[in-house]
Amino acid sequence: MKKQFVLFVLAATFFGFAARAQDTIKTTGDAPLVLSGSVDTYWKTDFSGHANIPTSFANENNSVSIGMVDLGLKKSVGNASFVGELSFGPRGQQQSLPNADPGLVTFPGTSETGVGYSSYHIQNLYVSYNLTSKFNLTAGYMSTFIGYEVISPAANFNYSTSYLFTNGPFQNAGLKATYTFSDKVSLMAGIFNDYWNVYQSGGKVNTFGAQLTVTPVKNWTAYLNVATGPESGTEFDLTTNYQITSAFKLGLNAADFTAGEAYSYKGGFSGVALYPQVAVSKVVTLGIRGEYFDTKAGAYVTAGPPPGESVTGITFTANIKAGPLTFIPEIRFDNSSKSDMFVDGSGNYTSGATQFLLAAVYGF
Amino acid sequence: MKKFGILGLFCLLSVKFAFCQQDLLSFDEHNKYIFYQVVDMPGLTADSLHERGLHFLKTAYPKTVIKSAEGASVTGGGKFLTYGGVSVMRHEKGEIAYQFNIGLKDQKYRFWLTSFVFTPYQRDRYGNFVPETGVDIPLEEITDKLEKKEAEAYLDEAGAFCKQWGDKLKSYMTRAQEEKKEPAARKVVTDKW
Repeated sequence: MKKQFVLFVLAATFFGFAARAQDTIKTTGDAPLVLSGSVDTYWKTDFSGHANIPTSFANENNSVSIGMVDLGLKKSVGNASFVGELSFGPRGQQQSLPNADPGLVTFPGTSETGVGYSSYHIQNLYVSYNLTSKFNLTAGYMSTFIGYEVISPAANFNYSTSYLFTNGPFQNAGLKATYTFSDKVSLMAGIFNDYWNVYQSGGKVNTFGAQLTVTPVKNWTAYLNVATGPESGTEFDLTTNYQITSAFKLGLNAADFTAGEAYSYKGGFSGVALYPQVAVSKVVTLGIRGEYFDTKAGAYVTAGPPPGESVTGITFTANIKAGPLTFIPEIRFDNSSKSDMFVDGSGNYTSGATQFLLAAVYGF
Repeated sequence: MKKFGILGLFCLLSVKFAFCQQDLLSFDEHNKYIFYQVVDMPGLTADSLHERGLHFLKTAYPKTVIKSAEGASVTGGGKFLTYGGVSVMRHEKGEIAYQFNIGLKDQKYRFWLTSFVFTPYQRDRYGNFVPETGVDIPLEEITDKLEKKEAEAYLDEAGAFCKQWGDKLKSYMTRAQEEKKEPAARKVVTDKW
């Protein structure tokens, strides 16, 4: 009996200290090692009976499919910090990463099969140092500074992605410097590898990138971006978000891309996407993504309509939160300028495609 | 045996206390959350309390923005981070901005923290937790905007922060400003022994 009391007292004391420790507000000192990330899964059906819309992720038809396990580590000590983010699963491997495992392949010139490639599964891997409170240097492999949408499903409102996202860079490896002039203006400029989305350059570090961040009024932030290089091509991008009321947010992404001059082929794309979102309760937010995407004439091929054509996409999405879990029902209608982009249920070319999906994303 | 029973009860109460830090907050006449205390400081003048109060703000909370330090009060604002999760999964969930007012008189001072506004954090594309632009929730409305469990956790953290802020202020007010003395380096003479 006495022993039980001792154990009880020890346990209660331990939990008491544990609870008190969590109430301590840390105002100074170095942050601990932090692990964060997400897990996502989805089911999609295209009304034609097979996958049609060529944008990134959520592309497996009539299948309860997986996105990825995303694990990010971050540690800061003084002015130095690092982020290492690994992802496992289709969304975080062959659908977004270089050198990824595409599954079983037949090796060229032989009848042998095997795993084609291996991948490091890296989404972010960089180190960062604050030279002053306003001036920061960062080097490594980083999520791109261009565009509205990202790979991580926890950071996107819509689960399917836009044509602008799919055809723009996902990651840039390089060295960048960011100077914060005031709480309303900052400027990033950097030099990046010659190609997007690769861990290693093709032999050159010759893509220039810059981002001007402005906050014209409270709750409105705009990012003016440029990335340009002979191999990577030139993309001008405007990404902006305005929380107009506590319930209503409006986002916009506009971009123009021209293929790199190092290649004989020409072409590119331009487009604009609008993201109005309204919170209708503390757990439900409704939103629309309206996108117009146009490809330039030339031989440059996009994940979208053929050169010289266009596509319009309207996506209705709801985010329903249950603690860290978000359910995302979404219906999407895409229409192309010519009847040669999608295929209907009978196998004939058509100009329209419609899909419904239900996704679940757990963020931690 | 009785001792163990008393100790067990004490520990249970400690646990209960640790989970109810939001009870430290009250409502003022405008129905806003407030943490208010009056503290007697016998033998100390308003001037010395003023000097120690400023030293506290600059030393204990150096990121505090002091709006006014004239006369018998010091006013300003600051913010603190709120955390969620456990162990290595514990990370910033948001920040709470607050306004403070320290009133000074001979032999006593009072202070209050109020106008708490919560801004949630979200993970950005680079893996950092950053404030969600344009989402500012007054603490009085937090239970309407967030789920109950989450809202109560932030209220607890606000209560805990206020208590910590007040306790630190008292410790600075109680002791005179100590000059930092570099500890003398220990030297060993090896040629004499």
